Amino acid sequence: MIKISTAQVWVNDQDEALAFYTKKLGFDVRSDVTVPELGNFRWLTVGPAEQPDIAIALMAIPGPPVMDAETAGQVRSLMSKGYSGTIFLTTDDCQASYEELRSRGVDFVDQPEERPYGIDSSFRDPSGNHIRLTEVREVAKV
Amino acid sequence: MVFAPPARHLLRAKDLADGRYANPLGVDDLARAARLSRAHFSREFRRTFGESPHAYLLTRRLERAAALLRTTDHSVAEVCFSVGFQSVGSFTTTFTRVYGMSPTAYRAAFPPAADRALIPTCVLRAFGRPQHRTFREDNGSGRT
Repeated sequence: MIKISTAQVWVNDQDEALAFYTKKLGFDVRSDVTVPELGNFRWLTVGPAEQPDIAIALMAIPGPPVMDAETAGQVRSLMSKGYSGTIFLTTDDCQASYEELRSRGVDFVDQPEERPYGIDSSFRDPSGNHIRLTEVREVAKV
Repeated sequence: MVFAPPARHLLRAKDLADGRYANPLGVDDLARAARLSRAHFSREFRRTFGESPHAYLLTRRLERAAALLRTTDHSVAEVCFSVGFQSVGSFTTTFTRVYGMSPTAYRAAFPPAADRALIPTCVLRAFGRPQHRTFREDNGSGRT
């Protein structure tokens, strides 16, 4: 059986991202390992407490020789323009989660709104990555 | 202090248009969100995202209006005001110019996408936003 274990997002700064995903979003740290023999590469993953087998890797944009400077600049640019992808999160109570995250300083782009598939909201991490938070509703088949 | 590329500030302005389009919001407000002077902001926004902030906000409102026309039974006037347009006349004119048909005709032509697939709103919003067209470019054909 093939399962999803970890998906990766680029971040501008791993400490900044770690603070956001743990202190504001409430995720656990899964691993935070710095490897000297790999040029101090830091493998940093976070995830929700209730889903111990799923994590998001917060990956610093590497320099040469892993990634040439021009490519790194393009990745940084795409990210800051908001074009480097979306993380889709679900919650059983969108309004409650919205209030909770807002009280911790998360700046929402879309406040909770009714959609055909549930109640949906969105915000960004400090790097500009788009995160949606949705209370999914079972839709009656017509 | 973490280095943030300049586009990150422009994205805040774009997010403001996406999140607060229903309010009386203009390019001045977007420029403030990016902490730039209006002229500099408009130039930088266009350079970064390929269209003016005015066109982006306008097409976001049109996209939201089109979605409401497809998925609700709200009147054209209600749709117009709920997405931030100030007058039904200018809404109808602009909508017809961009979509190639009146709001009423558009509603009749497109049954709700939700009948076919549960597509997240962010996808609908990104792919449903029309290409901005000015009167000069308008040749009377359908959507471009």
